[in-house]
Amino acid sequence: MLLKKTLLLLLVMVLLGVIAACSGAQPEPQTIIQTVVVEKEVPGETVVETVEVVKEVEKVVVETVEVEVAADAPADDEALPRNETLYFNGQQWGSVVGWNPYSNSNNNAMAKANQMDSARVIMFETPYLYNMLDGNVYPLLADGDYEWNDDRTELTFKLKEAAKWSDGAPVTAEDVAYTWATHVKYGTAEGNAYVDYIEDIEAVDDQTVVIKAKLDDEGNAVNPLLVADYVSKAFVIQKAWTEALEERAGGDATELMADTAEDVVYSGPYHGFFWDDTKVIYIRDDNYWGQDASMWGKLPVPKYLAHTIFKDNAAGSVALAKGEVDVSQQFNSNINLLWENYGLPISTYLPEPPYGIGASLPTAFYNLNSPGLDQVAVRKAIAMAVDYPTIIANAMTDQSATFDQVPRSLMNPTPGEQALYDQAAVTDLQFAGNDIEGAKALLDEAGIVDTDGDGWREYNGENLHYVATCPNGWSDWQAAIEVVAAAGKEIGIDITSNYPEWSVYQTVVTKSDAPLPEGYDIFMMWSAGAGPTQPWGRIRNLLSSEWVGVASNWSGNWGQYSNPEVDELIQAIPSETDPDELEELYTQLVEIYLTDVPSFTLMYRPQNFHAVNETVWTNFPFDGDGSDPPIPPLNCTDGWSIACLYNLELVNP
Amino acid sequence: MRGYRNYFLNKFLWFLVTLVAAFILNFILPRLMPGDPVAAIVARMAQGISNASGVQAIYEQYTELFGTNRPMLEQFFIYMRNVVRGDFGFSFSQYPRTVADVLKSSIWWTVGLQFPAIIVGWIIGNSLGALAAYRKGAFDKVLMPVSIFVSNLPAFGMAIILLVIFAVMLQWFPTSGGYGFDLIPNLSLDFMWSVFTHYQLPFWSIVLITIGGQAIGMRSMAIYELNADYVKFSRFMGIKDRKIVRYVFRNAMLPQITGLALAIGTMVGGALVAEIIFSYPGLGSTILTAVLGQDYPLISATTLIITIMVLTANFLLELLYGILDPRIKAAQAE
Repeated sequence: MLLKKTLLLLLVMVLLGVIAACSGAQPEPQTIIQTVVVEKEVPGETVVETVEVVKEVEKVVVETVEVEVAADAPADDEALPRNETLYFNGQQWGSVVGWNPYSNSNNNAMAKANQMDSARVIMFETPYLYNMLDGNVYPLLADGDYEWNDDRTELTFKLKEAAKWSDGAPVTAEDVAYTWATHVKYGTAEGNAYVDYIEDIEAVDDQTVVIKAKLDDEGNAVNPLLVADYVSKAFVIQKAWTEALEERAGGDATELMADTAEDVVYSGPYHGFFWDDTKVIYIRDDNYWGQDASMWGKLPVPKYLAHTIFKDNAAGSVALAKGEVDVSQQFNSNINLLWENYGLPISTYLPEPPYGIGASLPTAFYNLNSPGLDQVAVRKAIAMAVDYPTIIANAMTDQSATFDQVPRSLMNPTPGEQALYDQAAVTDLQFAGNDIEGAKALLDEAGIVDTDGDGWREYNGENLHYVATCPNGWSDWQAAIEVVAAAGKEIGIDITSNYPEWSVYQTVVTKSDAPLPEGYDIFMMWSAGAGPTQPWGRIRNLLSSEWVGVASNWSGNWGQYSNPEVDELIQAIPSETDPDELEELYTQLVEIYLTDVPSFTLMYRPQNFHAVNETVWTNFPFDGDGSDPPIPPLNCTDGWSIACLYNLELVNP
Repeated sequence: MRGYRNYFLNKFLWFLVTLVAAFILNFILPRLMPGDPVAAIVARMAQGISNASGVQAIYEQYTELFGTNRPMLEQFFIYMRNVVRGDFGFSFSQYPRTVADVLKSSIWWTVGLQFPAIIVGWIIGNSLGALAAYRKGAFDKVLMPVSIFVSNLPAFGMAIILLVIFAVMLQWFPTSGGYGFDLIPNLSLDFMWSVFTHYQLPFWSIVLITIGGQAIGMRSMAIYELNADYVKFSRFMGIKDRKIVRYVFRNAMLPQITGLALAIGTMVGGALVAEIIFSYPGLGSTILTAVLGQDYPLISATTLIITIMVLTANFLLELLYGILDPRIKAAQAE
């Protein structure tokens, strides 16, 4: 009996503890709303009267709102109404840390993702929105297109008069200029990223902004492409708020970036409403300036954007299937089974494989210092023999275009990039994999043969033996590496696999100021996705020798390839404006890449995964939805894809 | 009484020595792992930055901030200072949150899940074990194989089975989270009910596994005790079975209590598997991320808490043993 009582007491205590844990110790919503629910006797039914007391930071406003609601409808501050909330997964992992637009340590993926190719603009806004589908930028805070001066050294744009901050103040050119000055002064990530290319940003008048490019010795802009990149990547932050932040931080850069900035002023349509260890919720600002006719002409449809924090993809996939997630930015393996086998109202941007638009090129790099891998024949033979269809079917469950559909180059599968090079000129060099005989012939021709009859080819008297590697637990990459290893065995090259922990792997691979150690002969890393500087930025990352010798190299060319001809071509592209000339330059680069094979793409991967469950919301973008300009499948949050939030409709209004 | 004081002092001295040794090891061991924690942070920060000097600047900034470039001894004193200050310093992986802040927000979920699960599993398991030993026959024949089977299921297997049966197929319980995906914490009945339903599957996935192991251990101990002279004597005396079972239970319980104390001591380590499979908030996955991301301060703080809890549990247990079983005190106080 005593035992039972103790047990019961324990359970009750624990339950209270858990409730206390999730109601206390968590960040509070920006407004604290207390609700008193009074039940009134009404013949036939119960009417609930809700009294809301809203407390704000400085003043206390007491509002009494009488709302008649059905007895089972939840009140706003206790539960999110399902038909006003758009649920996400795959963006936020772990709890939100802060809201500081100057810091990269917010772990607040929906409010401030770092240096995205298509900036995430639900809370903070950029002057322009990049559209990965057509490669253009569209004005957001800006009014009309930007203009270069004749020398391409100064870029000018105007701001919309309607653009306002959340505190009602207008967004001015001075805000844009001060944002940049702050980035440089405190050495933020954005500052560091652009300081080599942007000399200064100046406010000509309230509405006009001039970005002055950094010039080289000959008076040309160092890199006009990266100057233009800034206007669709860097958020504009309010000057007045920045000054308050600086004062709070006492002018100290570390303090400034460590500030969680919960009082931040923003210009976007949503801001933080509630966040804890299990979720983050953003609420619409109904005074958002974008409802002005000069921008969207209306508010985005969902009142709330909510992101449940899942601990792994499996939990996220289950929630998507159950309709607890509307927009999924995570890898859902065999996504097609959700509609083919289970008949769920789930869909992707394309109805058939590859289901999405590939944007980045996960790539296997060769350590060009490994014995034998300095030989083009060995590198190309391995790359030709790899069974890419198996990688795409297993590792990506067909969520990548094949190399028959999109022949390999340096371009991603978007139509904009594919049009940039002369495909006919490089057809002979493109390989789609599984070409065992071709690979063998190539090696035989180069005199790399098996002379001692042990089954392995030799080079300089040594058996060719390599270790292929990628981080442990990255299951799609591991599957790909296994296929690479299998290809080696087919052509008489012994390739074994090894999977170190990511913490070790990344330290080794990014140390480009020394030769790679043993065990890193063939290794996987990523490449850039779609963005205003692409494909140039991606090609630079894959091939430029400027990364060789960098102690902490997070840019690319991890195999330490060096080719002066390539460097020159990469150097020439940013200042080139003639489309024919550009095509020539890009084609040359592809030609060299496919001839030298310093690395090889294993699959195409979407910029963001984008699957939607249309149980509650519908009218998401899909291929051929007729939108003009086309809305890219980037979760309704990134760059031009935010237009999707204005088009959403309820399935059952 | 003097014997008891000596015994107590002796134990306390060892408690302190172990604590100091553990404190030092907690600091050193994570730092011996290969790899560079700042590189991992830079990886996150540097996405999309297109110039090498910019990335290098970020790297140096964080190295300086976290002091990973300083000599080990200096880092140790910084760590000591942070521990004394009570915030354990900045977490590398969740900077600018302090370790204390990270722990504070998730530890209650873990304790709330683990503590009752361990206690309930322990009580049910031991009761069943004792009962099986005493009743023998069909009850024992069914319970034993079932216990062995269940206790040998890996924790993730049990969690996934429960998830698939009760959440996905029968839909009696939610699949993930600490409370409803559409709720905001408040003191309404709806919310409490939601917390309660979300609690069930992770809770039972731990309890079921605990029961099996405890039942097997208790059964063996109890069978041994049942053959002891005092049991036979009690039977001859005509003492009721229920009372005899209680005697047996108390005597067989001593080693089981040690196990319980250790389980409670290590529970802060979290129910990692349950947390991940049910996306339940808590410390387990925080620690896993910390270890994988080499978040030294967070690793050190959590291992320190575990160390202190285990040591304290052990210390109290030894004191308790001294009282419960005078033979132990007598043997050790000499």
